[in-house]
Amino acid sequence: MSYIEFKNVCKEYKMGEIIIKALDNTNFSIEKGELVVIVGPSGAGKTTALNILGGMDSITSGDVIVDNKNISKLKNKELIKYRREDIGFVFQFYNLVQNLTAIENVELATQICKDSLSPDEIMEKVGLKDRKNNFPSQLSGGEQQRVAIARAIAKNPKLLLCDEPTGALDYKTGKQILKLLQDTSRKEKMTVLIITHNAAIAPMGDKVIRFKNGKAESVEINNSPTPIEEIEW
Amino acid sequence: MLKKALLKDSIKEIKNSYKRFISIMIMALLGVGFFAGLRATSPDMLDTVDIYFKDQNVYDIQVISTLGLTNEDLEALKNIENVENVYGTCTQDGLIELEENEIVSKVMTVEDINKPRLIEGNMPQNMNECVVEESFLAGTNKKIGDTIIIEIENQENSNGEEVEYLKQKELKIVGTVQSPLYISLDRGTSSLGSGEVNYFIYISKENINVDFYTEIYVKVKNSEKYKTGTNSYEKYVETIKSNIEEIKKEREEARYQSLITQANNKIIEAEQEFNKQKQDGENQIAQAEQKLQTARDEIAKGENEIISNEKKANNEFSQAEKKLESAKAELLKNITEFNSKKQEAEQGLATAETQKQQLETNLNSINAGLEEINVNYNQILAKLKDPNLTEEQRTILEQSKNLLENEKLELENNKQTVEAGINQIITQTASIKQELANAQTQIENAKIEIPKQEANLKSQKTKVFNQIEQAKNQIQNAKVELQQGETELEDSKTEFNQKIEEAETKLIDAKEKVKEIENPEWYILDRNENTGYRSFKQDTESIENLSLVFPIVFFAIAALVSLTSMTRMVEEQRQELGTLKALGYNKFQISIKYILYSSLACIIGSLIGMNIGFQLLPRLIWKMYSIMYIMPDISISFNHAYSSLGLSLIYICIVGATMYAILRELVHQPATLLRPKAPKLGKRVLLEKITPIWKRLNFSQKVTIRNIFRYKKRFLMTIIGIFGCTSLILAGFGLKDSISKILPYQYEKIFNYDIQVTLKSSLNSEQIQNIITNIKNNDKIADIIETNMLSGVAKKENNEKDIQIIVPNNNDELNKYINLIDYKTEENLTLNNNGIYITDKLAELLNVKEGDTISIETTDEETKEFKITKIVENYVSHYIYISKDLYNESFKDDYSTNVLLLKDKDLNEEEQQELSKQMLQQKEISTITLTSTLMNSLNDTMNSLNYVVLILIVSAGLLAFVVLYNLSNVNISERIRELATIKVLGFYDKEVYKYVSRETMLLTIIGILFGLVGGYFLNFYIIGTCEIEMLRFPKVINFISYIYSIAITLIFTLIVNAVTYFALKKIDMISSLKSVE
Repeated sequence: MSYIEFKNVCKEYKMGEIIIKALDNTNFSIEKGELVVIVGPSGAGKTTALNILGGMDSITSGDVIVDNKNISKLKNKELIKYRREDIGFVFQFYNLVQNLTAIENVELATQICKDSLSPDEIMEKVGLKDRKNNFPSQLSGGEQQRVAIARAIAKNPKLLLCDEPTGALDYKTGKQILKLLQDTSRKEKMTVLIITHNAAIAPMGDKVIRFKNGKAESVEINNSPTPIEEIEW
Repeated sequence: MLKKALLKDSIKEIKNSYKRFISIMIMALLGVGFFAGLRATSPDMLDTVDIYFKDQNVYDIQVISTLGLTNEDLEALKNIENVENVYGTCTQDGLIELEENEIVSKVMTVEDINKPRLIEGNMPQNMNECVVEESFLAGTNKKIGDTIIIEIENQENSNGEEVEYLKQKELKIVGTVQSPLYISLDRGTSSLGSGEVNYFIYISKENINVDFYTEIYVKVKNSEKYKTGTNSYEKYVETIKSNIEEIKKEREEARYQSLITQANNKIIEAEQEFNKQKQDGENQIAQAEQKLQTARDEIAKGENEIISNEKKANNEFSQAEKKLESAKAELLKNITEFNSKKQEAEQGLATAETQKQQLETNLNSINAGLEEINVNYNQILAKLKDPNLTEEQRTILEQSKNLLENEKLELENNKQTVEAGINQIITQTASIKQELANAQTQIENAKIEIPKQEANLKSQKTKVFNQIEQAKNQIQNAKVELQQGETELEDSKTEFNQKIEEAETKLIDAKEKVKEIENPEWYILDRNENTGYRSFKQDTESIENLSLVFPIVFFAIAALVSLTSMTRMVEEQRQELGTLKALGYNKFQISIKYILYSSLACIIGSLIGMNIGFQLLPRLIWKMYSIMYIMPDISISFNHAYSSLGLSLIYICIVGATMYAILRELVHQPATLLRPKAPKLGKRVLLEKITPIWKRLNFSQKVTIRNIFRYKKRFLMTIIGIFGCTSLILAGFGLKDSISKILPYQYEKIFNYDIQVTLKSSLNSEQIQNIITNIKNNDKIADIIETNMLSGVAKKENNEKDIQIIVPNNNDELNKYINLIDYKTEENLTLNNNGIYITDKLAELLNVKEGDTISIETTDEETKEFKITKIVENYVSHYIYISKDLYNESFKDDYSTNVLLLKDKDLNEEEQQELSKQMLQQKEISTITLTSTLMNSLNDTMNSLNYVVLILIVSAGLLAFVVLYNLSNVNISERIRELATIKVLGFYDKEVYKYVSRETMLLTIIGILFGLVGGYFLNFYIIGTCEIEMLRFPKVINFISYIYSIAITLIFTLIVNAVTYFALKKIDMISSLKSVE
């Protein structure tokens, strides 16, 4: 059994009379330590799948198993615990707490975790050692995203979920961020999922899942992922 | 078309953000509701009393006189300009004896003026019926149909004759009424019973037996055009009052003259009567004395008689005894004599026998001789017959014959003699024998007689002496009787003298009284002098004052909260604004949606608010006041002035705030607007520079502090909201504390006495001393002080205030009964002759300070200037303390004790009542006021104010709730991304809640702290505004009130926090994080 299993997952939204199927019988699995790139057009259900995996959304039917835990059956509090201990999230718009300095944003995460990493070390790791006492507004977009990643990985999560982490960044910075994510996956043996609409970066992943119309249309295993430096788009 | 779209948009907006809409609506509702409702309460209450007074035809002016009023007075009043009608009526205090107690009742008559309002049953139809107030039935356990007996003191009719006041004392209760003259629970005081009037009773007019009026009620012309209590009404009445004032002197004088004449006539009559009585009495005494004298003489005579009788009797008896003794002796002598005489007689008898025998022998010899002679003679005779005898023979014969004849004669004589002798002897013997026998019998008799006589004498003696003894006893009795008679006389003499003296003093008194007959004084009073009406009006004034302060707080907070709310709304829709602006809509068109939104919220809220407010608040406050006032139900009116004022105020606040928020955004270019508003930048706070403190804070504390300073507006709003809430609550509690302290402060801290005894004004100094001694001797009284209390007017420039002047007999002693405490230094003072002490509220009202001079006018219309030396603490009404010396100096030795202040020996209330009742029986005492009773009655009044406090607290709480809820909503909406993020990070619900509530709590605590300070001052401000002129509200807030205020604010905060908790729980992470920042 894989580390992560998405089995026949359906997610339906009710919009008045109409039922929208965001996920329609989706199946895929991910192994521990894999860097997975999920690609697909807007509305294909990638974010929904990620949200479900991150314990932020419920499913209509099916099973989602993470490390032998069926998270689709978890109660609210257990879900929070799951988010707290097992998940690191990175958003397109960083979602840093504006009122906290970079390191404080990291501390915000670490202070609620049992075996968190040292915020200072993490800051050093993400290359923000000198800027850790700056507020988000004093940081560039890339730096902010680094802080967001630092905040996510500082919790030492089982899964690092990144929803369009480069969506708001320029090419160069985006590349740096993806590099950081790839390095993190390799060095820390962390399972990382990256959502992107940019198919070009798919080769960097150990596994590429393509979404279309609420389904994981294809799951490719890439035995020789391309280092991010070599990917151009 | 555009407008229609906008309207649609607005309505959709309302649907989408109904919570915000409702919260703005509620703010408007609260603000306007409170403003309009509270503001309308006072006018509604005045309306109610106005309607009531008009319905019951309540007087405009009341004229009472110290000496009663007459029909002439009535006429005079009627002729005054603008007087519509006058009504002379009679009111007296009556005593009703019940099984357990007696009650004092005001007895009034049913008239066309001041008509009682029938509640149940009928009005009295005849003089046997009466109606009572409802509480009378409850208090006396009587019911309609029962009878009561009313005792009213006899009254002096205008001809000076004393008559019964009522024709019929036994009255049947036929109904219950309310009286417009007694709308409060205070029924005044009386010189009867315990000194307090308990109830009022209405009787039929025809039951009145006196021919004067106790008061005249005046109804002014066109009074129905005025509303009672308004300035125009009072001004109007004042003009008529001054018209009456003009005839006052004249009428007083007229009444005075008639009374003087009357009294003088009466005195003359009384004098005559007195003199006659005196004469009669004296005559009677003289007669009685005469009688006694005769009795005394008789006794003396009797005594003399007895003595002489006794003497005589003694004499007589001793004589009789002597006689008897001599008789006895004589008897003995007689017996001896008799014996010897008997012997002698017997000898005599024997001799007589011998003599007799001799004589008989003689006789025999004589007889023999005689016979011889006779024979010789016969021979001679025969010889002689022979005619032949010679002459010589014859002569010899004749001679012989003569001789014989002689011889015979001699013999005859002898014989006779002898015979006589014999007879004599026989008779002698017989008589001797007889004598002897007689003597014998005599002796025998005497022998029997003497003991008899002795016995006789003895019995006689006893009898006589008994008689004497009896006579003596009689005399003795007579003497005792005399003694009694004398004592009686003496008694009746003293009695008579006393009576005469009394009558004389009375007469003198009466004469003096006539001299003293004061000029009757007219009191021309208006409705403000009616206790019930006045206190009602004062209460409406304090509500009015309250209604000025509180809505302001509400408005201010409502404005602030809606400003925050609307600003947030506009901010949230920045992009829409930008879009519209980019599309070419002008400012007005863009803002119309928000203005519509806020206007709708504002108007709907206001309309609901004013309707609720107008109905609820006046009714609620009325309900509370109805405990103290007996009146028809409140008449609620929709007060257009206050409603439109309230609406415009809140409209300006809310819509103005909206306009401000929107215009502030619309100055930006569309491009700027289309970009999301840059989130508030994170900043280091000042505290971070103070490393020692900052280091000590844990992560979440740091976050909290930084957040607090990040949202300064919300920070301020929360603090202001909480501040307002806490200060309102604290002010409410403070007001309550303050009110509850008034009585203890006045009647325990300042006034130390238990009983106040007012003496009748007519007493002379001797009577006053007597009554004082009398009271002093009462074993229930611990201590007593004499004072002279009088009412007066204190004046300074244009200010005039009614005051009570207290002049103690002894400055030092006063301190035991009245604590004169310096209002600033709290120092205990003693009155001196340097100047007067006035109470602090009076000083404030007159705007004077220590060292200033004020003038005091007494009831004698004398005005004198005094220097204020000290200002002293006081809480109820106004007092001026003047030392006796200073007073006498200024008012030419006018001091006369008229009020006694007493301390009892720790009696309980019941014992005090008993004592008061007992003391009131002394006719020198006019009224007795028990401090405890006074406190009780005032306490009721004070307690009702607590409801106002309750309203304050509830509304403040409500306000706090709305404010906090609103701010919390704004907070969540403003920070929803941040909150969603920490949720995604895996913060438990509780942790998320704490993340937010830590800030709220901290702000709440800061707000509370400020609120406590603010409340402290707000309390004093409120106290200042709603303080009634006669009262000083002590500036105290109990410690517990702070605690309550904190606790109540915290409770409201916690409720809001609980709501927040669920709102936070419901935050959808996905949708919150989806949008672009």
